[in-house]
Order: sequence, then structure tokens, then C-alpha cells
Amino acid sequence: MSATTVKKRFKPTRETVLALIVLAFLLFLSGTTNFASRSGLYSFMLDVSPTIVAAIGVGMVIFTGNIDISLGTMSGFVAYTAGALVKAGAPMIVFVPAAILVGVFLAGLNGFITVKFKVPSIVVTLAMNMVHVGFYATFLPQSGWIENLGPRFTWFGRGRFFDVIPYTFVVAIVIAVFFVFVMKYSRFGKTLYAVGGDAQAAVYSGIDPDKTVMKVFLLEGFLIGISALLRAMTRNEVMPSVFIGRELFFISAALVGGISIAGGSGKIVGAVFGAMFVYLLTITMIYFGFQDYYQFALQGVIILMAVYITVTDFGRFNRLLRRITGRPPVHS
Amino acid sequence: MSTSNILEIQGIDKQFPGVKALSNVHIDLREGEVHAVCGENGAGKSTLMKIICGVHKPDSGTILLSGEPYTVENPNEAYARGIAIIYQESSLLPELTVLENIFMGHEPQKPIVPFLPAVKMIDYPSMRAKASSIFERLGMQIDLDAIVGTLGVATKQMIEIAKALTFDSQILILDEPTAALTSREVETLFETIRKLRAEGQSMLYISHRLDEIFQIADRVTVLRDGEYIETAPVTSVDKNQIVSWMVGRTLTNLYPKEEVEIGDVVLSVEGLCQEGVLDDIDFVARRGEILGIAGLAGAGRTELALALCGLTQPDAGEISLNGERVSFESYRSAMDHGIVYISEDRQAYGLVLPMMLRVNITHKVLPSISNLFGIIDRGQERGITDEYIEKLDIRAPDGDFVVNNLSGGNQQKVSVAKSLAVDPQILILDEPTRGVDVGAKSEIHRIISGLAKMGKTILLISSDLPEILGMSDRVLVMKTGTKAGEVMRRDMTQETILGMAL
Amino acid sequence: MTAKRINLSILFSHQTVLFFLLVCLVVLFGLIEPVFFKPRVLFDVLAIVGEVGIMALGMTFIISTGGVDLGVGYELQVSAIVFGLTYTTTQNTVLAIVLAMLTGTVAGAFNGLVISRTRIPPLVTTLATMYLYRGISMIIAGTDTFAGFPEGFLKISTIELFGFLPIQSVYFVTLFLIFDYLYRRGSLGRNLKAMGFNENAVNFSGVNTRRIKFAIYTLTGFLCALAALIYLGRISAAKTSIGDNLNFEVITAVLLGGTSIMGGVGSMRGTFIGVLIIGVLKKGFTLLNFSGNIYNFTLGLILILSLIVFAVLEEKEKSAGRVAAAAPGAVG
Repeated sequence: MSATTVKKRFKPTRETVLALIVLAFLLFLSGTTNFASRSGLYSFMLDVSPTIVAAIGVGMVIFTGNIDISLGTMSGFVAYTAGALVKAGAPMIVFVPAAILVGVFLAGLNGFITVKFKVPSIVVTLAMNMVHVGFYATFLPQSGWIENLGPRFTWFGRGRFFDVIPYTFVVAIVIAVFFVFVMKYSRFGKTLYAVGGDAQAAVYSGIDPDKTVMKVFLLEGFLIGISALLRAMTRNEVMPSVFIGRELFFISAALVGGISIAGGSGKIVGAVFGAMFVYLLTITMIYFGFQDYYQFALQGVIILMAVYITVTDFGRFNRLLRRITGRPPVHS
Repeated sequence: MSTSNILEIQGIDKQFPGVKALSNVHIDLREGEVHAVCGENGAGKSTLMKIICGVHKPDSGTILLSGEPYTVENPNEAYARGIAIIYQESSLLPELTVLENIFMGHEPQKPIVPFLPAVKMIDYPSMRAKASSIFERLGMQIDLDAIVGTLGVATKQMIEIAKALTFDSQILILDEPTAALTSREVETLFETIRKLRAEGQSMLYISHRLDEIFQIADRVTVLRDGEYIETAPVTSVDKNQIVSWMVGRTLTNLYPKEEVEIGDVVLSVEGLCQEGVLDDIDFVARRGEILGIAGLAGAGRTELALALCGLTQPDAGEISLNGERVSFESYRSAMDHGIVYISEDRQAYGLVLPMMLRVNITHKVLPSISNLFGIIDRGQERGITDEYIEKLDIRAPDGDFVVNNLSGGNQQKVSVAKSLAVDPQILILDEPTRGVDVGAKSEIHRIISGLAKMGKTILLISSDLPEILGMSDRVLVMKTGTKAGEVMRRDMTQETILGMAL
Repeated sequence: MTAKRINLSILFSHQTVLFFLLVCLVVLFGLIEPVFFKPRVLFDVLAIVGEVGIMALGMTFIISTGGVDLGVGYELQVSAIVFGLTYTTTQNTVLAIVLAMLTGTVAGAFNGLVISRTRIPPLVTTLATMYLYRGISMIIAGTDTFAGFPEGFLKISTIELFGFLPIQSVYFVTLFLIFDYLYRRGSLGRNLKAMGFNENAVNFSGVNTRRIKFAIYTLTGFLCALAALIYLGRISAAKTSIGDNLNFEVITAVLLGGTSIMGGVGSMRGTFIGVLIIGVLKKGFTLLNFSGNIYNFTLGLILILSLIVFAVLEEKEKSAGRVAAAAPGAVG
């Protein structure tokens, strides 16, 4: 048993590969379109921010081996709450926390049913999706549509530094950095790996998987709350139903970012680049005149390919990477 | 060495549905000793450990830790009380580094904000320092940033020990730590254990490998069928004494081997190779013969079985049945040729535990008892089920009984029945008595003997040397994927077989 | 012996509870709107659940193995669109039918291929292909509606046997009887359930589980195409809004029926009752002039509540000693 002090070379992890792809995309778009203009960059950053935050949230849920497909509809509730409170005259210090709390509550409910009754999260959130959608139309006045919210609501969402960097993007990046830090420097972060990787091993390490899953759902709710606000506050009106289906972007961002659907592996930074990738793809298609609905087919294919690469990680893909980088083969 | 008891286990009882797992078990662990707990599979060793670490709750009895009553709800509390367990099942996460693994769930932390002591972050420098000192203590050099999944089994085992040591525990419990190790690795492990003992660490060492116990333990406690039998210093007993405590009867009764006329060659294998697993295996097996296949874990015995019955595909080599060359593209085709495999892990591969007896017993014969549309003939189904319940004396009220509710031994019989139902010519039994109590064990041996007498060819894979010695007509010894040798019954001794296997 | 009795009684009580729920719903709607008690209306329930029912049969197979197909609605949609496109361009009904059937079958087969040949879980596979198929049908159809199908074709859904029995109910009930028989008495059904509990053990019994998985997803795709034709016969217009709700309705029917999302336990008869409950809700809400949203909301709620109830029942059953999986001596 000798120390393996192989000198560390550059090793292309999944995240760095993805980052390079994103970079290539940016350069490509800048070269071929007016993407590099002030407005192009601004709208990219504005659009990608909510997805970054939400992808981190759902990414952590996926980490633990669960999933949430009611993200889109939860966002709708958050946006509605904020809008309704603004209409009622609430200041930002009230409506922002209240709206986030709604996200925490809804995600917490998903987590509670998942953990307490051992109903798989996929089914819980699938059903919740329906409940939410039905709720908008049935119980919210005008299906939750509120207009003319005014600058009290939009000043933050539309605000920008140096006329190009949206406030929302700064929020998203701060959150991303914070969670990268959390994953590395908090016990909670380590716990997530353990619970998703091997629940039995986690128990042997003295971790309570149920508690962890519950916590992670609450955290997801918090992040979905922020994500929904980042998007809603850019507009002068809220309409819950526009959020329906947005979970697709969030989930595919997380999966493309290398967060394994089987749980236990992946990086927050991957989810961030995943979100950018997903958006750049969208933008590219729009620039090149593809209709909106090509998105659906493309996202489907992307999810499949991303997950295929992840699950066959220790197979060909890794061997290929290793051959390229000359790292010693894996013994296990 | 002081003689005060650090851990006293008194009168522990534990009942599982249908099984009495432990009754009136007591053990006292002295400070600074290595105390071996031994017993056969199913003797209750693992259950006892799970009670100590809070996975199971005892029905009655008390545990005293340093004289204080000790009750814990989960492994975390056990750690907090100073008891660390090294499990048989790995508790390591392959995707994480050595450092992250050994401190999983209890990383040292430090506050980050001056006036908010509750906000903490993991203190990597102190974690690293602590880890280095532990590995130094173990006399082991390791890259703390290595990904655990890329390391070997033995290294992982040492990491498990290091992980246990991070808890600053008073008591270390090792549950069959050598199960997957090679002999040299075992020696390294033992050195570590001796080193720790010299530092005054108290350890419970669970094993059924007697040689190890004599090498490493100070005292030994024997359990049998969940009952306490005896405790003695290892210097005052010999191996035979412990064996007789463990089995509770003389060995000759345990292996009801019958002399059977051995017929022609049925199966012959030449030059069987499978990349990284099997290397040039040759052997023959005859009608009525029980061919033992011995070797250490990882020697390729199960892999050989899988390749023989079409569950995996060999890269090279020939398999002949009754002189005719065959190759199986699937297990189904091997079964059609009369070869069946009875898996070592009946829970994972052998049986569908939550389903009924008749479903399990007839699973392999379904194609022959159902019609063109796959509709199962209920009469035949019941007939076959009842036949085997009776033949193998499976203790279940009827064929509708759920297999999960049977004892380990009876489950194993169901597993055998399932394969017998296809009326095979060759049976490959992989560890047929693992996890089975002593009574059922000898019943299974009797069944095996009976099958040989009927003219079946049996390949008996076993890690249990006495079983190999007791049952086989001939033994094929394997070592790291190769054939290490063959021994006839008259030349068989533990030493010759072990000599080849190591 | 006791274990077995508990087992049976749970299954029994489950279906009784379900049937009771069905009767209650009928009575409830009947009391509010007496017209509901008319045989005409009750037969109509059978007619409107034809598609859901047919797809639910295949879905029961899939869920029994511990898998799921999230996108059956879009498999139906894409088949319907292909039919519409083919018919409106060629005016050839037979060709349209053949191509539509082929489309659904291929869509299902693709799911089956991915699930049986890669390690991508069914959940992710079908989540991705759901968007893929939806995207494809949107690309084909855009916002167009294909209509004006010939009378002869519409007959497949508009004939009423003996003047009162809608033909769809005949399709559904006939297929149900076949599927139920295969499921209860056939080796297929047995292998499916066994796979749900322990796929390895099934493999080690000499059954090619990959082939079975491929077959059931393909079969479900085929049934979706069949359902698409029946649907078109009834609605007579193919557009991209059809099928949105069906994903959820089909899964709900199966789970309501007592098939466990974890696999291993299932009941075709339960699915049948589940389908009827969905039909009654649908018809009832239509009669009461409730919107589709209230229906979704209720359905989602019913699914969540029923899963919680089943989970609690199962927990009771477990504590009654049915499961002794952690039996001593199992290890070491």
C-alpha cells in the first residue's frame, strides 16, 4: 500500500467539459449573431438566472435519489403570492419572504408525503402538479392573473448593473457560489452525497436519510421560491400558468450538469453550467429561426443523452476520457 | 491488561417473526482485549452486533458500558457512546474521497462568523491532520484525496477501520473483517489489530474462521443457534473444542455422505477462459459424483458456475455434455440441456421472497407447464409444488405460503426445489448452506447426497472447508481465476486444499 | 398461514374500498344531477374511458415491473397527429391507420429499447421521450387541426351495439378480459410481478427480462396507437392539445387500482375499477358544468390521498409480520 502521489494533471471532469461547451457556444453565438451585444447578453443573463437557481434546488433533490416534477407549478404559486401581496400594498420586505415561504411549504409537503408515507417522490409530485394546476384555475381569482403591478414589483427584476448585468443574475451567482460552498464545507452537503449514494451506508455512518430528504425538499422549496421571484419580478403582471412545464428546463439543466438521477453524484457547478447550456441551446434555436416547439423534442433528446453518459460513466465514456488524459485505470 | 469489563452484555433475547434469533446471550468484554465471538452462519453473531449498534432492539436483557446502562436507538448514538462497528457491508461511498468518507456525518467543524458560533463549516485542515494521524497509527500510507471507488478491497477494509477510529471509540467491533481479503491482506489487518490492542483498544472480533481466532484473539465466546455456549481464553482451548461447541455434535453426523457408484463423464470443460475472471479451466465431472469446488472468495468459483450455465459468456474454451460439445447463449438453453445453477445469494438471485412457494418452485419450469398462450396449468403447478414440499420436507403449510416467512434453511430448500423441478442432470450449488442453521444444513447435505445417489452430477461450491471435505468425492481448488489443483477424496485434508487455495 | 390471510384480506379490502368509492361517486353525482342515473349516461362513462382504459392495461404491466411510462398521452398524441396528417394528405384511411399504429408502436419500442438496453431508469427515459414525442407531434402539426375524417373511419368509435352499447366499451372490456387472464393466470403476469420484486431472481430462473421489458413498453405504445384511433373516432379532430391529461389519468387509474409503483403487486381488476372511477368523475364533472381544472385538481388529490391510505395499510400489514426480510442469519 504505497501512497499514490501521482502528480495531478488537468483532468477533464464532466463539469469542465460542460463549461468548455458553454464557452464554445457563447463564442459561436457571438460570432454568428448579435448575441454579444449589450441587449443579447443582458437577456441571456436575465433568462438563465431563475433556471440556475431552480436547477440547484432540484439538483439537490435529485442528489438524494428523489425527483420533483411539480417545480413549474410551485413557481406559479410563488409568483401569484408575490403579485397578490404587492397588489395589496405589501412592501418588498414582506412579499418576498412570504412568497418564498409558499415555495418552502409546497416543496415541504412533497417531501413530507415522500418521507412519511414512503410514496415515491415521482408520484407525489406528479399528482401535486395536477393539484396545483387545478387549483390555479379553480380557486384563484382570474386563474391568478394579476396585472399592473408597477415598479414596486419590477424594479428589482428589471434592475441592472452597468446597464448590462441584471440584479437577478447577481442573485443567481451568489446563490450558486454559496451552494458550491455548502456542498464542500458543510456536513449537510456531505450528507446529501451519502444519502443519495447509498442510504444503507449513510445509516451506518449515523445519518438519518429521512431527515435529510425532508431538509432537502425544504431547501428546494426555498430555491424555487427565489427562482420564481427572479422570473416573476421581471414582468409587470403575474400569471401562474406560464410556469407550467418549466420543470422540464430545471430538471434537464440538473441532469445535463451531471447530477446523477440514481443519486449520490454530481456537482452544483455542473447544474449551473447545465442551466446555461440548456438556455444557450434555446437561444441558438431561436436565433436560427426554429419554432418554439422544437424545444420540446430537443430537451427530450438532451435529457436522454445526458443521463446516458452519466449512467454509463464507468464504461466507455470514462475509459475514453482516461485514455485521453492518461490517468491510471480504475480498480474496484 | 486490566481485567475490568468495559462492555457487559447480559441475557439478551431477540425474536424475529418465526425465528428465535438470540436467547439469553451474554458476553463480557474486558478493557484492552480482543474478544472473539464465533459461531456458524446463523448463530446470531450479526444480530448481536446489530443490537449493540442500535439497528435492532433486544426483547429483553441489558447491556452495560463501563458499568453504565447502555441503550441506543441508532448507529449514531452508538458512536456517540464510544462503540464503533466495522460492518460486513461496506459503509463507504465509492464516489467520495478517503478523507470525506472516514469523517462522513461527523466532520470536524469550526465557526466561520465571529459572533455566530452556530454557523460552522467543515474544518478541512484539522480533518486532514486527524486523518493522517489515524493512518499513521494504522501504519498505512494512503492518499487522502483518492476516490474510494478506485481502491482495492483490502484498502477499503483499512479505511473502514480508520473510519471507526475517527470516533475515538472505546470499543471497536469488527464483523467478519477478513471475508473478502487475501491471506497477505489478512496479515496486514492482523498487524493493525495487534497494534491497536497494544494501545489498549478493546475489540470484539466476529468471525467463524477458527484459525484467525487463535491468531488474534485473547478470549473467545461461542454462540450456536442464537444461544450462548461458552467463553474461554484461547490459550486454554483447542480448535476441536471450539468446533464441537459451535456445531454441538460430532462432525461425522453433519455430512451424511453416501457411497455412490460413480459413472461416466457427464460434463467436461476444457480451457475455459473469461477475461479477467477465469483462466484456462479444465475439469470433468461424472455421473453420481459430488465435485467440490473450493477456493477463497474472489477465486472465480461463482464466475465459473455462471459461465457454465450460460448466465455469462466465456471468451474461449469448450464445454461438453455427455461427449457432445455445447454452448449456451442463455441460461434457458443450459437448463434445456439439464444444467441448473442454485445461487449463493438466494435473497438477491435465488428467490422472489415476497411471492408464494408455488410461484417460486415452478418458476424455472413455467414454460413446460403452460400452454401456447403462456397460461399456467394450475393442476400441474400444484402437483409439482406439493411434490417438492414433500420430497424436500419444506416446512410450510401449503404452496400458497409466502417464502419470506420461511426460515433460512427452508428458503434454501425452496431454492433447491426450484432447480430440481426442471429435472436436471447437473446441479451447480453455490454455497448451499450459507446462512442456514445447523439442522437444516445437515438436511440439505442429505438432499445433496440423495441427488448424487440418483445419478445426478453435483458441483458443490463452498467456502466451508469441512463441508467440502465431508461431501465431495473430488475437489477442484481454484485460485485467482485459475485451477490450482484437484484432490481425490482419499487425499483430502484441510491443509492440502488450503495449501492450494492460498 | 396468518400471513397469507392478512395478505388476501388487504387485497380484498383494497378492491372493496375502491368499489365502494366508485359506487359512492355514482350515487353522489346522481343525487346532485338525477340524469346521472340514466343507463344512457352510465354507458357514456364506458365510452369516454375507452382510451384511458386501453392504455391503462399496458400501463399495469409496466408498473408491475417497477417501471413507468410517463408519456403515454403523447404517444397517443403523436399517433393521432400522424393519422391526421396522413389522411389529410393522402385521403387514404388504411394507410393512415397503418402509419398511426406504426408510430405508436415505434414510440413504445424506443422506450423499451432504451430501458432494456441501457441503465437509464424508466422514469427518466419516459420523462425525456415524453417531451420528445410531444415535440415531434408539435413539429408535425404546429397549430393545425386535422379533421374531416371519413364516416367509415368514425364508425370505429360511434357504433352502438344493440343500439345502446358504445363500441369503445366493447373494445375495452374485451381487451381487459384478455389482459386480466394473462396477468392472473399466465406466466407473463407472473414474471412481470416477480420482476417488480426481484429482477435478478427472474433472470436466474432462465427468463430473459430484457426481452420482457422491451415487449411491454412496445405493447403499451401499440395500445396507445389503438387508443388514438378510438379517440379520433370519437372526437374526429387531431391536434396537439389532445393527450395532455392522459399521461396522468392513465397512471392514476393504475395506481388507484392498487398496483404498486414499486412493482411486484398489481391487479388488472383494480385498474378496471380505477378507470371507471376516472370515467365517472369526468362524466360527473361535465354534467355539473365543472371545468377540467376542478377535475384535475380532484384527480390529483384522490391519487395522493389514496396512495397515503395504501401506504398506511401496507405499513400495518408489515407490522403484522408479513415481511421478515431482515431475518437473522441472513447475513453472517
